[in-house]
Amino acid sequence: MSQQMDNSHRKFLQSMMTNGIVDEQRAAMLYQQCCDTYKTKCLPDKLNDFIDTINSKLQPLFMQIRKGWSEEDGQQHYALVNVAETDISRMSSDYADYELVLFRKTIELIVVSETGQASSTDILNSTDTMTTKKLKKSETEHLLNRLVRDKWLTEKRGEYSLSTRCVIEMEPYIRTMYQEQLKMCHICHNIAFQCQICENPTCCIKIHNPCVARYFKNKSEPRCPACDDFWPHEIPEIHQPLSQSK
Amino acid sequence: MSQRKRVSTSQSSSQNKRPASLSLTATNDDDDSMFTLPSTSQVLKGLENLTEEQVYQKTAEVLQYFLVRDQKKIPIRRADIMKHVVKDYRNIYPEIIKRTARTLDQVFGLKLVEIDTKNHTYILINKLEEPEGMTSSSGPANLKSGLLFVVLGLIFMKGGFVRENLIWNLLKKLHVDIGQKHNDFGDVKKLITEEFVRQRYLEYVKIPHTEPVEHEFCWGQRADVEVSKVKILELMAQLHKDRPESWSQQYKEAHSALSTSSQATSSSQR
Amino acid sequence: MRKSKGPGPDTGDDAEVEPDEQQDGDSDPGQRREIRSKYRELICSVQQNREDLLSPQNNHLTEVLEKANRLFKDVQQTREAVLDSQLLVVTTDLGKEKASQMLSDGTAFDHIVFAENLLSFMGLNRLEEGEEEQQNGGAVDGYLPQDAWQRVAQWSQCCFKTAPTFHYMMGSFHTEPPPPKQKVERQRKAPTKEVKRIMPTQLKKMEESQHEATEKEVERILGYLKSYHHDDPTSPISYYEFVIDPDSFSRTVENIFHTSFLIRDGLAQMYLDDEKLPCIAPSEDVEGATADSQSRQQCIVSINYKEWKDLIEVFEIKNGMIQPANTLIE
Repeated sequence: MSQQMDNSHRKFLQSMMTNGIVDEQRAAMLYQQCCDTYKTKCLPDKLNDFIDTINSKLQPLFMQIRKGWSEEDGQQHYALVNVAETDISRMSSDYADYELVLFRKTIELIVVSETGQASSTDILNSTDTMTTKKLKKSETEHLLNRLVRDKWLTEKRGEYSLSTRCVIEMEPYIRTMYQEQLKMCHICHNIAFQCQICENPTCCIKIHNPCVARYFKNKSEPRCPACDDFWPHEIPEIHQPLSQSK
Repeated sequence: MSQRKRVSTSQSSSQNKRPASLSLTATNDDDDSMFTLPSTSQVLKGLENLTEEQVYQKTAEVLQYFLVRDQKKIPIRRADIMKHVVKDYRNIYPEIIKRTARTLDQVFGLKLVEIDTKNHTYILINKLEEPEGMTSSSGPANLKSGLLFVVLGLIFMKGGFVRENLIWNLLKKLHVDIGQKHNDFGDVKKLITEEFVRQRYLEYVKIPHTEPVEHEFCWGQRADVEVSKVKILELMAQLHKDRPESWSQQYKEAHSALSTSSQATSSSQR
Repeated sequence: MRKSKGPGPDTGDDAEVEPDEQQDGDSDPGQRREIRSKYRELICSVQQNREDLLSPQNNHLTEVLEKANRLFKDVQQTREAVLDSQLLVVTTDLGKEKASQMLSDGTAFDHIVFAENLLSFMGLNRLEEGEEEQQNGGAVDGYLPQDAWQRVAQWSQCCFKTAPTFHYMMGSFHTEPPPPKQKVERQRKAPTKEVKRIMPTQLKKMEESQHEATEKEVERILGYLKSYHHDDPTSPISYYEFVIDPDSFSRTVENIFHTSFLIRDGLAQMYLDDEKLPCIAPSEDVEGATADSQSRQQCIVSINYKEWKDLIEVFEIKNGMIQPANTLIE
């Protein structure tokens, strides 16, 4: 059933290792390039099959190329993720133990926040409660920069939120840890961090910004899909996925 | 049980933070020196007592271990593989390594190479070439590899050994002053004399009978298998607007090295 | 001639007479010293004139070896022989380097040209041709663009068969079981239902931790009261002098607040002295304190900023009797 891998698959997987995450266009481009390089057939609508072939071989190795959506623009992304916590997976040396503690605190701040964001001040303050090594302010800032560079967090005007890569890979973790605090998007039913919230106090549903854009498109007066109250937020534009990506 | 495991993992992660000299003394080599490779018949016997599923599982763990440990590009010691993953399966170690190498090759396009057959250390190298025009797809290049190219290139072009001072001198001309923190590389001297050395891109050796002590650099074991002398020579020629053949000695060496290493690659395939 | 010292540097250890030297009947210590000295001189000159010796234009290295050969004729003892081998190592080393230079026959790799070409490749923005170059001993000055090393890295990537590395976050740390209760400490933008739902827990939490802090502080203040009392049990402790912190109005208010708990819990008692001024003392010394629990009451003394200032003046308070809790941090 599962197809054999050839060099185009391997090259694609290697690019996934290097990039960590790619958006849909980039994935399609990579697919094309890998096939061209190794002279294999490239069927533009078969990207998912191509990835499934790789995934069938990755599955026993606790790895996966997982699909997800950006909360920001609703674009589909592919991320190479680790799926299991084992004695070996914990030997990862990218971050020191105390750095991971702070990262988890940051996740927590973001999860329990209403806005899906945590300010750098909040994160800096949370270092005080760390029982492991106390981080200096400069160390914390440096760590946050690294987390952004490595695509685990995104930052805008001093507010940090979970990156698409982080949401895709860490979703199982976040679900186990914060089951009660999590809210799903009323439209796409995925976890919602950065989103709009219905202001009717008995409703309070959340909708991702890109889902808002799609849902309220062409509607003259936006109303909450759950309680029918007026939707008081700005309706964002639908993201045009024609960009050649960064 | 799980408690003990936690301890061992935290140890290994803290080791990574320590300078090389310390971690060398801190890890005990007893594990490995006492280990003699099981014979083929021993392996076969060992396999009889295990299910295919168990061997498969262990292979996956060893592979995961290689990928995790390769993050820092420091060669992986057999002793550590034994201690952290293989554990009770050491009697079938050769089989596990064989299978791991096969999966690394077939799934990832990577090659497992034992760079030091005396101390038994392994590295992973890429079997797939970076195709022309695809460089953009692999993201921005690792800046450090640019520096590494300059250092390895100089050593190769100078015949294999280069005095430390010559390197610092060259880098200074390239606006990389080892006395100052560099924007891209931070502490350059530390990067070259410690990180590159630990990764085995470089060897940093004391020149005998020098007073005060002087050091010279040569290619490390990793560079020998991971870096292409032919390509370096091509780039040098390109840079000097010359032909690779005009450095006849280097040309000869690069091409003789190529034939031996490519033989090794093709023979290990499949 | 034999007894005279050889030319060149005379090192200290030559002056010492070693015991074994005395026993060597058949060789003259003076001659040996001379041989050693000449060897050292030779080694030294080789080390100092490296670049010169390396030059393909001359034969100095051969000359050195010939000199050594002549010296070796007279060598009879190990100590001199060691020096000879030392010299040999140094010259072999040089020979190797010289040979490697020769091998590249005529097209020796010049690192200065290499640097020049690399700088151009990196996009060096050279300064005006001028004296500056000369001043810096040939070092080229100018500005490298931000991405200079990125260019080199990108360009040279084809030389490396480096395996890509796998990085992940999930599974890199131990997942502890989910926290039993919500921890919410953030300020929210707009009050919503969720905030209301969370508020009680939050307040309760705050109350709890507040409560703990108060208890600690009350105990600490009791400690002060007891120790002052212990130091001089006969003289009464003025309440105002005890609670007022002349440096901080807010700490004074806090002290009054916490002291009131001591009274309420019967751990301290207040009474008026002969001048009708309030005094405070720990309870164990006040008779019937525990038995008379009904009469216990928490008294709240009010104080405003002006009163605080006035009291400091009236009581001539220079230092607070209760040290602030977090002196170390402040």
